[in-house]
Amino acid sequence: MITRLLIANRGEIALRIIRACSELGVESVAVYSDPDARAPHVNAADRSVHIGPPPAVDSYLSTTRLLDAVRASGADAVHPGYGFLSENGAFAEACEKAGIVFVGPPSAVITQMGSKIAARRLMQAAGVPIVPGETPQDQSDAGVLAALDRVGFPALVKASAGGGGKGMRRVDEQSQALEAIQAARREADSAFGDGSLYVERLIERPRHVEVQVFADNHDHVVHLFERECSVQRRHQKVIEESPSLVVTPRLRSRITEAAVQAARACGYRNAGTIEFLVDVSAGRGAERFYFLEMNTRLQVEHPVTEQITGLDLVRAQILVASGEPLPWQSPWITQRGHAIEARVYAEDPSSGFLPQAGRLLLYREPRMPGIRIDSGVEEGSDVPVHYDPLLAKVIATAATRDEATTRLICALRAFPILGVQTNIPFLLRILEHPRFRSGEIDTGFLDNEGASIAGTAPPQIPAAVRAAIDAAATAHGPRPTSHEPRATDHKPRQDPWEVLASWRP
Amino acid sequence: MATVTQIGSGVFRVDDEGRQAVVYVAGAAGDMWAFCDGVIYRERERGEQRMSGTAKARRGDPASYQMAAPMPATVVRVLVSTGQSVRKGDTLVLLEAMKMELPIRAPADAVVKAINCREGELVQPDMTLVDLA
Repeated sequence: MITRLLIANRGEIALRIIRACSELGVESVAVYSDPDARAPHVNAADRSVHIGPPPAVDSYLSTTRLLDAVRASGADAVHPGYGFLSENGAFAEACEKAGIVFVGPPSAVITQMGSKIAARRLMQAAGVPIVPGETPQDQSDAGVLAALDRVGFPALVKASAGGGGKGMRRVDEQSQALEAIQAARREADSAFGDGSLYVERLIERPRHVEVQVFADNHDHVVHLFERECSVQRRHQKVIEESPSLVVTPRLRSRITEAAVQAARACGYRNAGTIEFLVDVSAGRGAERFYFLEMNTRLQVEHPVTEQITGLDLVRAQILVASGEPLPWQSPWITQRGHAIEARVYAEDPSSGFLPQAGRLLLYREPRMPGIRIDSGVEEGSDVPVHYDPLLAKVIATAATRDEATTRLICALRAFPILGVQTNIPFLLRILEHPRFRSGEIDTGFLDNEGASIAGTAPPQIPAAVRAAIDAAATAHGPRPTSHEPRATDHKPRQDPWEVLASWRP
Repeated sequence: MATVTQIGSGVFRVDDEGRQAVVYVAGAAGDMWAFCDGVIYRERERGEQRMSGTAKARRGDPASYQMAAPMPATVVRVLVSTGQSVRKGDTLVLLEAMKMELPIRAPADAVVKAINCREGELVQPDMTLVDLA
């Protein structure tokens, strides 16, 4: 059994893993960069190790620094979380070589499934349907252009090395291709350190349905049903739910069977997700699905699956990585009720979803029935500029989709976060949208309806809010000017007003 | 007439003709934040209002612009050079922050007067990256 687990991540996922460690009696080791020295994940762990300066490449993305931290802390295992090094085969391999347990699949599987071309070949051989596409041998602008011509338009250009929509561009016609190729390559290079590109035919109006799989070292491979993540903004998931409205019992048995087949074909171990595009244009009963990619790690949206199955995926990850058999078997894994997750980001939907950095002056999580919140911040936390601006995931569980949606709306309406702009008003507009309520959504939903949902004008201040603002101003008396330090804060850090005062048009 | 009762740190209950609302308030004079029923309000004093764009017209000279970063970011590419004419919407500088690319675009047809940043440089929102006239 793993005795001391180093979590090579930050934020909500680091906290999630630390809590699983506590439940299993495994010692947890947090790592942190300079701005995270007092972050909640560091405070919650049994031990912590400083790994470097703010830029992720010098801290959370640095294999060398993380391996040094493993040695310094005496950890016998590493959990990579999601993002950062979670799908970096070289990091997993370095752990294996150093005799450290990597909580995830074998490094060779990460490398194979991380390469879109190798993953597709494997899936094709295993009988799993795939979308037309290729990684051009010739990665020059001309080579990628030629590949686009071969797969046909509309097409997607994306990073060969990564997931999560980073470095992905839609190309409708040849005239847009060059700019898209160059932008995708730059983003791919900066996000993954590898500018190789992959091109594929775009399936119009697809639904994004993914299947959670889990495998152990004892030849057990199970699926934990599907999640639908069709509400995406530029290929970043915004809302995730299970079950999917379009997955009929017949489609469920086909798609989960394909997922288990895919996991077996690549020799998978631990938690993974097979993403599919589902084409429902031919009507109910004639759905077609295509393998999109495999995520060889725990997903951001894993709580949705935990809520509808009642199982603990992170606990199982640690047990399986320790060599134990899966704690559950397929006949009694069931899907019950409906769960929906909304990702709360520090970003400003009214200005092009610009990520926001700053201090959370007020942050109060709602407590209500059927609401789970996985978060990595607290009141007074600084949201640093250097990392993904995910603040919290709010997961609502209820008997039906409609009840779960209403529950999530009520929770978000009672989730005040002040000091940085958040996407909460945007999330509410999605959840209240007639197309979302009726389930008539595809992956283009937000990009098509986006302008009306994002909101542009700042809301007018109603009388009740005006009265409260005035009362607050009176209650606190005269305020220091914006360039003087504020004395009331409990953490002796850089003054937030100084930072805010420097923002300008 | 509304009655306001403070019910917690930064939390106020506003009673107005039989209707109640709970309002959360934070911030300092000149930059106040409030939250009520899923809506975020922000009130800033004039002169400190940040707009979604990044251009600032220089006082008394509406045809010139100082292009600044909207947030701390890294300069990925500088796509123009001094003296170059640019059209409205042209990308001048490509920034990257929080793993996303942020293009800084020309707010109008103009000429690049000066470039004050280099590729790879970490820039702050109070820095002028490009001067246009």
